[in-house]
Amino acid sequence: MSRTFAVGLALVACAGGARAQTGRGAARRSHALLAQAQSLWRGIAVRDSVANARTAWERRARRFDAGPLTVLLPDAVGTETGFRITAGAAEYLRDALPARFLAVRVVVALAATGVDSTVRTERLRNRARIPVGVEPRPDTLADGWSVAAAVAWDYRETLDSTWRGWLPPDLGLGWTPKRDGPATVRELMRGDTRVGAGCLEGKVDACRLWLGLDADTEPYKVRYRPRELQALVSGRWFPTHQSAELAQQCAAEARDACLRLTSLGYLPPIPAGPSPRASFVRFVLTRSRPGALPQALQDRAGSVGDRLVRATGVAEDSLVQGWRAWVLTEGGMPEVTANLRDAWPVAVFAGLLVLAAARSGRWR
Amino acid sequence: MYRQILYVQWCALRLPVVLLGVLAFALPLLTVTYGGGLEGAPPGQVAQWLYAAQQIGQLVPYVAMLAGVLLGIGSWAPDHAGKHVYALSLPVTRARYVWLRFAAGTTLLLVPVTAIGIGALVATVSVRLPSGVHAYPLALTARFLLASFVCYAIFFTIAISTRRAALAVLGGIGGLLLADAVLWGFGVGATVTPTVFMWLTNWPGPLSILIGRWALFDV
Repeated sequence: MSRTFAVGLALVACAGGARAQTGRGAARRSHALLAQAQSLWRGIAVRDSVANARTAWERRARRFDAGPLTVLLPDAVGTETGFRITAGAAEYLRDALPARFLAVRVVVALAATGVDSTVRTERLRNRARIPVGVEPRPDTLADGWSVAAAVAWDYRETLDSTWRGWLPPDLGLGWTPKRDGPATVRELMRGDTRVGAGCLEGKVDACRLWLGLDADTEPYKVRYRPRELQALVSGRWFPTHQSAELAQQCAAEARDACLRLTSLGYLPPIPAGPSPRASFVRFVLTRSRPGALPQALQDRAGSVGDRLVRATGVAEDSLVQGWRAWVLTEGGMPEVTANLRDAWPVAVFAGLLVLAAARSGRWR
Repeated sequence: MYRQILYVQWCALRLPVVLLGVLAFALPLLTVTYGGGLEGAPPGQVAQWLYAAQQIGQLVPYVAMLAGVLLGIGSWAPDHAGKHVYALSLPVTRARYVWLRFAAGTTLLLVPVTAIGIGALVATVSVRLPSGVHAYPLALTARFLLASFVCYAIFFTIAISTRRAALAVLGGIGGLLLADAVLWGFGVGATVTPTVFMWLTNWPGPLSILIGRWALFDV
């Protein structure tokens, strides 16, 4: 605003100068005005440079560690927030990623400046950098999830194609029963596929197909019915002329066109969306020994189900059954219960209240 | 003596008790208005039905609270109206009178509880459930009993409390809010009110029965 004012002042002064060529007094006045404008301009430039320097200072990268996780955040986030973010991210990643992966990575906030010098002085030169696009405001960093998600995303890229095709982008590490459980249950209850509805009814085979745990040779044939593929195609946008044409034919009940369309890779081979698959990851993480999930993620043989069975030592059907009950009961919340455990707090509290009421009252 | 108190209380509260009974009976039946033959039904229909059943189930704790509030406050309504003359005229101690009133109110509470139990049983026998979905008529009824009982006890006590006790409760709530404001003012991250609320609504908190799963039909 003041810069605009100064420029405007200078323009007025110049224009005034042009008009005042006739009188000496007027010329002096215009010179004075011009000098004043230049002085203002210099002041603004100095102030801007000071502000820039201050911003750069506040944004300089600062190292935070939590276990094997190292994060470079802008200094402006503050010590307490920085450690909270790093500890939060480490908590999300705990038991899910191998420590040796974290030991060779450093997470760098894009908003941080002077990263190279910090990396040099902190001896982090040999570590690969994981950028995380967060503003230097503490509230945008929340509880460290942005950092954890960036690490999870980076780790996912190092896995083989079977895992990359199955895992949600953030590996499902941010999934929580309370927050994300309802979305998963709604997806299961949507019943738009036969296997999904079967899973809801408690058929383990259907759950395995719905989650895409097995290495089916023809996934679209065994996981979807033709009518379901047609429903999947309708309303979906296809980028190429060939795929759009096949989609039209598929929607017009040409089964061959549907199958040819699936070979182009535009339709999801797994009926369950990212949320149910994330819930499965979270379930494995919650219910198995520490290190089981990293072991399964490092395994490169067989289907997703085979790898999880090898890592957890639990039969696939048991895993699936456990997951179904866990998800449908909001992470292990009891179903519809009313037992002694529920009754005694009520009885004790009510008894105390009536005792209190009996001891004193309005007509004592 | 109990029978006389019960009769007096019934005379004063029969309208709300009957209305609560009708409401409690109808609520589980709403679940099956979508249809009863779910065995072999299309998957989408089962899913929608189950979802609707769970949504209706969420209303049950509110009805339990309503029953507790109406009967708890209503238990003392005749005494408040008669300036406690009736109570003072009886040849019983005050403590015994309070227990008699409480027992009579609890007995009346059994009307909506029984009604929801019958409604739940009728709803359960009228549907053919697909595999994987189960009915919980007894558990739902027992939860309703516990939830309405705890609400009844709270409002029964509030209704007969002295002005000093009422002020103490209000002061306590105000104190919690004030503590939060002070902590917030000093930039301390801790909060008191949510902590107390969590303590009350998480097991073994007395109100934990109101939170949790309320559904007649569930997986």
